[in-house]
Amino acid sequence: MALLEVEGLCVNYGAVSAVRDVSLSVAAGEIVTLIGANGAGKTSILRAVSKLVTPRAGVLRFDGRDVTGLPPEVLVRLGMAHSPEGRQVLARQSVGDNLELGAYVRNDRAAIAKDMERMFELFPRLSERRKQSAGTLSGGEQQMLAIARALMSRPRLLLLDEPSLGLAPILVSEIFEIIAGLGAMGTTILLVEQNARLAMRVAARTYVVESGGIVLEGPSAELAADERVTKAYLG
Amino acid sequence: MDFAWLLQSLLNGLSIGSVYAVFALGYTLVFSILGIINFAHGAVFTLGAYLTYALAVGRFGINGLLSDLSLPLTLPFPAALLVGALLSGLAGMAVERLAFKPLRRRGADPLLALVSSLGVALIVVNLIQYLVGAEIYSFPSDIFGDLPMAVIFSVGGKPVAVRTIQIILFAASMVMLAGLGWFIGRTRGGKALRATAENADTASLLGISVNRFILGTFFISGLLGGLSGTLIGVSFGIAGPYFGVSYGLKGLAVIVLGGLGSIPGAVLGGLVIGLGEAFLPPDMSSYKEAVAFVLLFAILLVRPQGLLGGRLEQKV
Repeated sequence: MALLEVEGLCVNYGAVSAVRDVSLSVAAGEIVTLIGANGAGKTSILRAVSKLVTPRAGVLRFDGRDVTGLPPEVLVRLGMAHSPEGRQVLARQSVGDNLELGAYVRNDRAAIAKDMERMFELFPRLSERRKQSAGTLSGGEQQMLAIARALMSRPRLLLLDEPSLGLAPILVSEIFEIIAGLGAMGTTILLVEQNARLAMRVAARTYVVESGGIVLEGPSAELAADERVTKAYLG
Repeated sequence: MDFAWLLQSLLNGLSIGSVYAVFALGYTLVFSILGIINFAHGAVFTLGAYLTYALAVGRFGINGLLSDLSLPLTLPFPAALLVGALLSGLAGMAVERLAFKPLRRRGADPLLALVSSLGVALIVVNLIQYLVGAEIYSFPSDIFGDLPMAVIFSVGGKPVAVRTIQIILFAASMVMLAGLGWFIGRTRGGKALRATAENADTASLLGISVNRFILGTFFISGLLGGLSGTLIGVSFGIAGPYFGVSYGLKGLAVIVLGGLGSIPGAVLGGLVIGLGEAFLPPDMSSYKEAVAFVLLFAILLVRPQGLLGGRLEQKV
């Protein structure tokens, strides 16, 4: 059974329809990516899954349970962590405090401290800057912090929105190595990315989003050979 | 102008200024989390003073609906102060539920909440007037039990007097400021509160219940408002249901002067205005109420963002 199931999801901003009748699923342990052009509705889908926006229609099931009516703070407790677009680190708090707040839903202090050290091993650049306020970090470091912060809640599903946005190419590949590494450790990830080539390399399955709807889906390897995909997204 | 006068003014200024700071922090907390001024804060200030009066004295005077009623028991002043402040905190929560949350939930322009909070303020003030009348109420002079009214010492042959209430004002304010500073700076809840103030969406993605923290903020804000209302009321008397209005305006001057949304700014602004009033030469004392706004005007000319305000678009 899929860990996340989305059925008939619709999102409107005022009178404008951003997402139309989207259905998708993510199995436990799987990396799945949504690719598509800017403004296709990828981010809106992710924001509706974590309830940052209220969907107009559709059903969300997490681990078999209907979570359509639950607010974001409850979904975090159930094991869904969302690293939003534009990173959204808490600029005025220290790197350490950002990570600590990532574990806000947990109460096991010893394990939190351990996980914090694990994050500093995974992201050594953050370790040097743990006392610095997050606003002083570079874009790549903020992205690492955003991912690390999401992982601090020990999520069963990680929603990653545009982790490569605005980063230098060398950092982009570093971030994608980390994502692949997380996948190898068994983390379930739903990845939204406009860099289709890299995203499809780490993801087992791909959904192609166009003007608010899903137009193609399948194993990444298959889609990467599909002419419609290569022309539009890998060209 | 002599040394004794300077010292006396300094002590007076620190004492009243610390209360201004506590009161203004109530505005600052709500502003930093919602980005709006809560205009009902002055009404909660008034309410706190009346509640403590009722709890400590047990009855009200001649006019109003409650004039014939009296409480079966009264509390000693420190307990009345505490309970009055806690009840004011609950009143602050009611303000959030009535004036702010319904509009927020409908996604209304935040400025509208400013108007609805003003509406709540008018209702509270008029309700007080209806219930207990418009007279001035003074706390009985034996309110502190056996404590002397004042401590008097002499400096260079001239007396300097510190009233007991001034010491209480200062001490209570310092306790509140220290407690608040500890909570916001050191605790998990305080960090979550700052996260909510910085970015509510991000906070909710971390599992922080934003609405609960907003409600908690209104509780603390109301508590600070009610406490300062009581302290001012004990010090100068409760000058009728509208006495919170002028302090409400002064509180606004404090936060703008210190820098909107800045917590250290609210404290500094309170002390600056308190000291400014205290150092007014005696023959100009009738201009005391203007001091806050003259200082505000002068400082905004030099620093439009206030003393400790960041760039204008930033908060906290």
